[in-house]
Amino acid sequence: MTAQASPLATKAPAPATNPPAGPPKTKRRGRRSIFVRRPFFTVSLIVALGYLLAAIFAPYVAPYDPVLQSYDAMMQPPTAAHPMGTDSYGQDILSRTIYGARFALIIGFFSVIIGATGGLVIGLAAGLSGGWVEWGLMRLIDSILALPSLILAVAFIAILGQGVDKVVIAVGLSMIGPFSRTVRADVMRVRVQGFVEAARLMSIPSLQVVWRHVLPNVIFPLAVQVTIRISEAILVSSSLSFLGIGVTPPTPDWGLMIAEGRDFVSFAPWMSAMPGFALALLLIALSIVGDGIREEFDPKGRRGA
Amino acid sequence: MTETDHKKILAERLSARFGRRAVLKGMGAGIVAATAGGSFPSVARAQQSGHLKIASIKVIDTLDPHFTGFLSAIQIINNIHNGLLKIVYDGENVTFEPDLAETWDLEDDKTHVFKLREGVKFHDGTPCDAEAVKFSLLRVKEGEPKSPHAWKLALLDEIEIVDPLTLKLHFSQPYAFLPVALNGSTGRAGTIVSPAAVEKYGTDYGRNPVGTGPFKFVSWRENDAIELEANTEYFEPDMPKLEKVTFVLMNEASTALAALMSGQIDGMTDCPMQLVDQVEAFPKANLYGEIEGNYTFLGMNCKKGPFTDMNLRKAVAWALDRETLVKQAYFGRAQQAYTPISPPMTDFFDPDIATSGRGQWFDLEKAKEFRAMAEEQGEIEVTYMMAERGPVGTRVAQTIAPMLAKIGIKVNLELIEPATWVKRRNEGDFDLYDFEWVADLDPDETIYPEFRSDGAWNFCGWVNTEFDELCQQAQVILDSEGRKELYYKAEDLLMDEAPIGIMAHMPIYKVFSDKVQGFQYIPADLVNLHTVSLA
Amino acid sequence: MLVQALGKIGQTLVVLFIVSVATFGLLKLAPGDPVQIMLGSEYSQEAYESLTAEMGLDRSFLVQYADWAINFVQGDWGTSFVARTDIFTYGFKEALPVTLTLAFFSLSFAILIGVPLGVLSAVKKDTAFDAGSAVFALTGTAFPSFLLGILLIWFFGVRLGWFPVMGYVSPWEDFWTGIYHMILPGLTLSTYFIAMITRLTRASLIEVLEEPYIAAARARGEPGWRVIWIHGVRNIAMPLVTILGLQLGTLLQGTVLTETVFNLPGIGQMLTSAVLGREYGVVQAGVMMTALLFIGVNLLVDLSYPILDPRLRDRK
Repeated sequence: MTAQASPLATKAPAPATNPPAGPPKTKRRGRRSIFVRRPFFTVSLIVALGYLLAAIFAPYVAPYDPVLQSYDAMMQPPTAAHPMGTDSYGQDILSRTIYGARFALIIGFFSVIIGATGGLVIGLAAGLSGGWVEWGLMRLIDSILALPSLILAVAFIAILGQGVDKVVIAVGLSMIGPFSRTVRADVMRVRVQGFVEAARLMSIPSLQVVWRHVLPNVIFPLAVQVTIRISEAILVSSSLSFLGIGVTPPTPDWGLMIAEGRDFVSFAPWMSAMPGFALALLLIALSIVGDGIREEFDPKGRRGA
Repeated sequence: MTETDHKKILAERLSARFGRRAVLKGMGAGIVAATAGGSFPSVARAQQSGHLKIASIKVIDTLDPHFTGFLSAIQIINNIHNGLLKIVYDGENVTFEPDLAETWDLEDDKTHVFKLREGVKFHDGTPCDAEAVKFSLLRVKEGEPKSPHAWKLALLDEIEIVDPLTLKLHFSQPYAFLPVALNGSTGRAGTIVSPAAVEKYGTDYGRNPVGTGPFKFVSWRENDAIELEANTEYFEPDMPKLEKVTFVLMNEASTALAALMSGQIDGMTDCPMQLVDQVEAFPKANLYGEIEGNYTFLGMNCKKGPFTDMNLRKAVAWALDRETLVKQAYFGRAQQAYTPISPPMTDFFDPDIATSGRGQWFDLEKAKEFRAMAEEQGEIEVTYMMAERGPVGTRVAQTIAPMLAKIGIKVNLELIEPATWVKRRNEGDFDLYDFEWVADLDPDETIYPEFRSDGAWNFCGWVNTEFDELCQQAQVILDSEGRKELYYKAEDLLMDEAPIGIMAHMPIYKVFSDKVQGFQYIPADLVNLHTVSLA
Repeated sequence: MLVQALGKIGQTLVVLFIVSVATFGLLKLAPGDPVQIMLGSEYSQEAYESLTAEMGLDRSFLVQYADWAINFVQGDWGTSFVARTDIFTYGFKEALPVTLTLAFFSLSFAILIGVPLGVLSAVKKDTAFDAGSAVFALTGTAFPSFLLGILLIWFFGVRLGWFPVMGYVSPWEDFWTGIYHMILPGLTLSTYFIAMITRLTRASLIEVLEEPYIAAARARGEPGWRVIWIHGVRNIAMPLVTILGLQLGTLLQGTVLTETVFNLPGIGQMLTSAVLGREYGVVQAGVMMTALLFIGVNLLVDLSYPILDPRLRDRK
């Protein structure tokens, strides 16, 4: 195993940006598959895919209806019939956890899409415009960034109300700031390369310039960012549910299940522990996958929150 | 002569309110003696020691008794202030006894005479005399800004100061609700505050309360704690026993429980039902609580939407499986309700109500019959608004939703913040909601303001003039049997037309660690620490 | 230089202005009425109207905003509707110190634990220790803090009874008791940062150790610990400070959850309870303090670069 095969993610926003010096042999040709070089990444990817499959095929995998109540089976510890136990409504925690993957991934994915789209628009506008418009947009981005996404999301929830759709929008909106910052940075990189000025001099319509030259340079790093930030979106949304202002019960949402089970921790710890474990595992897997992708495809390790 | 008669009538009215005969014992003599030792400043002062820390989980809005809307605030206010009267509970009966008053007498049925204790001083050193009492009562009745409890003294015509320690209250009508209105707790209107402090702090009085109670206010740090210290000059002998009390303000009941179990706090002013099992299993804590005067219900909007259809409302009322509700939503702690009148109102509550045929209960067949008579036969979608509020949060809503699915009603649960919830309830912007009216001591306050056709709390918008008339008649009838009959009729109308589906009567709990001694439980959600000490 | 500084300050002011207008506007859009919340369920229409007027809520948006902004700048942050408490006292004097203390302790924990752990992992690269710390670092950055808080409360607080599970005691008044109360919340909040700093330290140090001047130092015969702790660690200070500045948002966000779980009366609790209770003034104050803190710290980070990296001083 070579030095570079070390699984430890090196997300160094180091100022002196020499690419990690490994033995030159492994560097270019003959490079072994990412799956072999990064075992943690591979395992995490398998875990994440497992969650994805569970989410898609939840109705076939889950042994019970996730909102089927049964007061004969309230707060049962894990048994053969209920491998993860039941909650205080007699709902099967395993089924709820499986369905929970569905909600977590849906919320994570769609809110990141909203954040990325908003970020793309603002970032492009800020990066391509100049003068006062750019300055104003930059200050706008600064203002969004000045507030942590959870606090922003709480504020949006206060206006929008609660529920899965509202959480998606609130979390999505609160992520626009970081996305627009990265997009703008990428646009600036393209801009210094002179394409844009050159194209403009050749009087090529600006929309076409954006389409041809800017977007391709921006979209790819953005896609990398999207995969990285899904776990953040899931974390924020489950935090909202935990604070009691996220999705609506009895939706099988992990944050909600953890919050609900917290009242029973001393004698029914499985109620919080099972969804908590599911959430933690997914977040860990996603963050390792995200790190892996970032390092593989985005070696500059752009610093950015 | 006449005096005694009025007294008797009042005693009867009161006993009709609170059940058993022993109400207001000692009143027959014409004079109610204050509790032992009140006549002279006692010789033996209590030696205070110990610092009690107790978690308060619910919102506290203000410590100004005349402006609060929350029982959680009253719990603290009552340790700082006294009323003219107080609630006493001996394990069986709720009675009203003079508190700041030494005697309480009736000249005729509209004139109450109060003689105050001598030498009582507010925490700021000013005397608590007839002027101060008059000031407080007027502050409630006609003060600016207007007290939300002003209506309780609406019938008060004149306050006459006879001498510095005696005052006469003249009412425009015989007013039997007075004891409830005047006592220092749930009535809120009769709590006496220091005029000097009100003058000094104005609207900030609620942050700087000054009363005559066993504890003095020290500080209130937002989201953190309210601190009290012993009032060594307190007028009741051997009280208080504690040197310091901290009400730790907590949002999270489960953290409070963890703190109790790890010994960081000594009690909780409220123990949510989902924690009761754990508290019982914990050997070092004692649970206090009984079914109190309350009822929980599912409210249906009679003004707009699908529930303007009475048959649909009835279908819902009969489709609620109360047994499941009690077990699942209330953790088996509550008692199934058939009508609003609750068990502690012993003269009105029928112990055999389950078999009497009155009220509402679960009968799916009957529900389906009513459902078949409803105008809309297809699936109906309704919005059920819920919030993380009340004793069990969203549990009731979550339990009810599948029950209504069985009669072709699809319930969309909508979770909103408590603030929005209150606004929408008051504006009638809902199809379904659940709520509870608590700390009631009399059938009148249990159903009349809540369901009067033009009542401010009639959020369901149910209109029935016959109901209004029955309740009005019951207010002026003195004979408790006759009153009971009228209230039964009114209740029957209410249950039959079903603006609400009645669910349960709840117990209200307090918890103290086994170090805490001498707590006297009063079934009006009070946490009076006068007699409490730490081992 | 002066022009630059003025520009920075100008930018900051604009950002604060946008933040304040946006929150003010957003809160007005939010449903829920503070007057109704204040009055509870028993009130009359007149009471409602007079209170609305008393609180100035019947005026136009612009007037309300201007009124607020002018007073805010003068340090008069108004009075909260429900609690009737002075917001400046509540927010700035009471809540802010709690949050700052929590943040300070968490960061201290993070640096005191994270840096040595990272250095050791770098030095013992590819050993079992390194792998263990890698697993910890990966788990730590992704583990939800509220879940961790609950676990710590029930294990260390209730089961073992080692640490208090709630409450705030100012360490500036009673140092040891204060720290004692900060241990569980501090650990909860700092786990993410410990993990992050461990990873960052390890990665940066591995790079630095390959620099020629390290080899030179070794060749001079300087002892191994000196090479690593003096030459090595000094050179990773800059990425560390940068990341910490940028991650301040994450830290503030973490305080919201940590304060809720451990019942600490800080800005996080203040904000969430105020949003739910429609305490416009309090939300404003909380948001402004958060924004100021964030912008201020990042300004400091910018300013600290020349100190941490002499090369930047020369280049100017």
